[in-house]
Amino acid sequence: MLIVNNLVKRFNSTIAVDNLSFTVKPGKIFGLLGPNGAGKTTTIRTILNIIKPTSGEIVFNGNPITYEYYNIIGYLPEERGLYKRSKVIDVLVYFASLKNMNKIDSLSRSDYWLKRLKILNFRNKKIEQLSKGNQQKVQLIAAIIHNPQLLILDEPFTGFDPINQQEVKDLILSFVSEGKTIILSTHQMDLAEKLCEDILLINHGKTVSSGKLSDIKKNFGGNNIRLAFSGDNDFLKHFPEIIKFDHYHNFTDIQLKDEIIPSEFLKKLIQKFEVNHFSIIEPTLNKIFIDLIKENSGTV
Amino acid sequence: MKKILAVAKWEYIEKVKTKTFIISLIITPIIIISFSILPSLLFKEEAPNVEVIGLIDTSGVYFNELENELSQYKLPDGKRNYVLINLAFKSKSFDELKSTANKNIQKKLIEGCLILHYSGSDSVYAEYRSKTLGNFKNVERFEEALSTIRFKKKLEQEGIDTKIMQYFQNKVAVEQLKVEDSGKVSDQDFLTTFFVSIIFILLLMMMVVYSGQMLVRSMIEEKSSRLIEMLVSSITPDELLTGKIIGLGLLGLTQIIIWFLIGISLIASALIPLTAFNNILPMLSFFILGFLFYTSLFVGIGSTVNTEQEAQQITTYLSLILMLPVVIAMPAMQNPDLLVTKIFSYIPLTTPTIMLLRLNVETVPEIEIILTLVILILSILVVTKLSAKIFRIGILSYGSKPTIKEILQWIKE
Repeated sequence: MLIVNNLVKRFNSTIAVDNLSFTVKPGKIFGLLGPNGAGKTTTIRTILNIIKPTSGEIVFNGNPITYEYYNIIGYLPEERGLYKRSKVIDVLVYFASLKNMNKIDSLSRSDYWLKRLKILNFRNKKIEQLSKGNQQKVQLIAAIIHNPQLLILDEPFTGFDPINQQEVKDLILSFVSEGKTIILSTHQMDLAEKLCEDILLINHGKTVSSGKLSDIKKNFGGNNIRLAFSGDNDFLKHFPEIIKFDHYHNFTDIQLKDEIIPSEFLKKLIQKFEVNHFSIIEPTLNKIFIDLIKENSGTV
Repeated sequence: MKKILAVAKWEYIEKVKTKTFIISLIITPIIIISFSILPSLLFKEEAPNVEVIGLIDTSGVYFNELENELSQYKLPDGKRNYVLINLAFKSKSFDELKSTANKNIQKKLIEGCLILHYSGSDSVYAEYRSKTLGNFKNVERFEEALSTIRFKKKLEQEGIDTKIMQYFQNKVAVEQLKVEDSGKVSDQDFLTTFFVSIIFILLLMMMVVYSGQMLVRSMIEEKSSRLIEMLVSSITPDELLTGKIIGLGLLGLTQIIIWFLIGISLIASALIPLTAFNNILPMLSFFILGFLFYTSLFVGIGSTVNTEQEAQQITTYLSLILMLPVVIAMPAMQNPDLLVTKIFSYIPLTTPTIMLLRLNVETVPEIEIILTLVILILSILVVTKLSAKIFRIGILSYGSKPTIKEILQWIKE
C-alpha cells in the first residue's frame, strides 16, 4: 500500500504539485489522470525518490521510500528509448543488475518475458534492429524484470498496435492478480476506465476528483440517456427536461435534469416520435475528464 | 557498491566495443607518431639519384675546384651525388647563358644551376636556380663548398699553407645536456625533448576529447530517451556518476596501457629514445589524474546539455584549454623559470599538461611536483562533488540549456 500525504513540490516560484493526498491499494490499478502539464510526472518522480518533495510524506508498506525500496520499484517512463547499439539481452541483464538481481536469475527472467511477449527471437539482436513496438516491449520488460512490488507505468499503451495493447493489458492484469501495487498514468481514458478501480484526476497540481471510479461516475450527474430516432433532431430543444444533448452520427446523448425519471421521459417521447433505441448510460471517464477539467480550468 | 560496479562494467564494455574507441586507440598514436617522426625522416632522406648541376662562372676559376669539393658527397650506392657541368660558353652573353640554363631546368635536363656573380675584386655571390625552393641541403653544401674554395684562393694569394684550412673547418661544437634530479646527466636533445612533451600532451588531449565526447553522447542518449529516469529509480545519481567515472577511467587506463606498449616497442625499435621515459612515474601520475579531472568535469557539464551540437561546443572549448601548453611550450623550454608557466602549473585546468611539459624540459623541484599533485587530487574531489550536484538536477532537466546562474543554484541546493 502506497500512501501519499499532503505532497507539495515547488520549483522556484511555480507550484508543480499542490497538496496531493491519495492512497494506492495493492491488487488494484490506480489511475493517475490529468491533462498535459498537470503535474503527473512530477508526482511520479517524487514517489520514485528521483526528486525531493518540498513538503509532505510518501509511505510505502509503512515506511518512507528510501534506498532499500529501489529494488522493489519498477518504472516505465513515458518517453521511450533504450541503448540503441546494445544487444537486447545485454540491456535487460544490465537493468536487472541495477535492481540487484544476479546474473543467472536475470538471464532466466529475461528469457521468460521475451518468450511471453513473443520476441525471444530478437534476444541477441541490437535494439536498433527491432521495430518500435518491439523496442517498447523490451523497455517494458526492463521495467518489470525484477518482479517489482510497486509498479508505475506512464502511458504504457502508446505506440502499440491493438494486439500488442492486449498483451500489455494482460501483463498488467497478471501483476494485479499477484497483489502488486500499480499506478497507471495515461491519457487513454477508455483503457483507464476498463483497468482502474481508483482514480486521481489532477489539474494544475491540485486534486480535481479522486476515489473509486464507480463512485465518481455515480456522483457525476447520473441522469444520462442515449437515444436513436427517425426525423429531425431540432425538436429536442423544446423539452424543458433536457439540460444538454450531444449529437453523434447514429445516436444522441442527452443529459436530463436530476429530478426527471428517464422512463417517464421516454413515455413522453414515444407519444410524439418514432424511437429506435433508448438506453440509460453512465458517463464515460472520457466525458468526466473533459467536463471536470474544463470546469476546473474555467474557475482558475 | 555492487551497483556502482554494474554501471562501471556497462559503461566500459559497451564503449570498448564501439568503433570510436577502437579508432581512437589505433589512429591516435599513428597520427602522433607520424607527425613527430616523419619530418625528421624526410629531412635525413638522401636524394636517391645523381643530380646534374650546371655552373655559370664567367671567370672559369671555380669549376674544377667546385667539382672537387662536391665529389665528397656520395650516394648510398657509391656514385657521386652531384655531377657538375660547365654552362659558361664563351660565345654567349651572360644573359643568354642564364636563359639557356632556365630552359634546361624547365626541361629537367639539369636539376639546377649555380650562377656566380662578381662585384669588386674580392666578393662573390651566387644564386641557385631550380624548380623548387626547398633544397636546403643542396644550398647548404654549395655555400660551404664555395666558401671553402674562396678562402683557399685567398690563402694561396697571401702565400699561406692551405693545410691551415682543415684547422679552421673543425669548429667547436657546444652540446646541450640536462641534469636530472637523480644527478644523472641526460643527453637528449632539444627537439626530442620537445616532441616527447608534445606527444604526451597530445595523447592526453586526444584521450580527454574522445572519451569526453563518448561520455556526453551517451548521456544525451540516456536523457533524450528518458532512460535516465529508469536508471535513477534504480540507483542514486551519485552511484550512477561514480560508476560512469570509474568505467571511463578504466577505458582511459586501457588506452594508456596499450599506448604504453606501443611506446615500449618504439623504444625497442629505437624510434623514441629511452630517455623520454626518465620521468615516467610523475608523468603517468599527471596523465592519469589529468584524465580523471577532465572526466569528472565532463560528467557535470555533460549532464546539462541536450543536443550533440552543445556537447561538441563544450568539448571544443575544453580541448583548447588543454592545448594551451603547446602555445607556451617554446618560451617555457627556453626559460623554464618563467612566472607564467609556474602560475599555470597551479591552475588545475592546466596543471596536467603544463607539468607534463615541465617534467620534460627542466628539472622540476620535488616539492613542486608534490604540491601540484595534491592540488590536482583535491580539485578532482571538489569537481566530482560539484559535478554530482549539477548531475543530480541536470539529468532531469530538459529543454533549453541552463544558464550559469541556474547551475550555481543547483550547486547550492
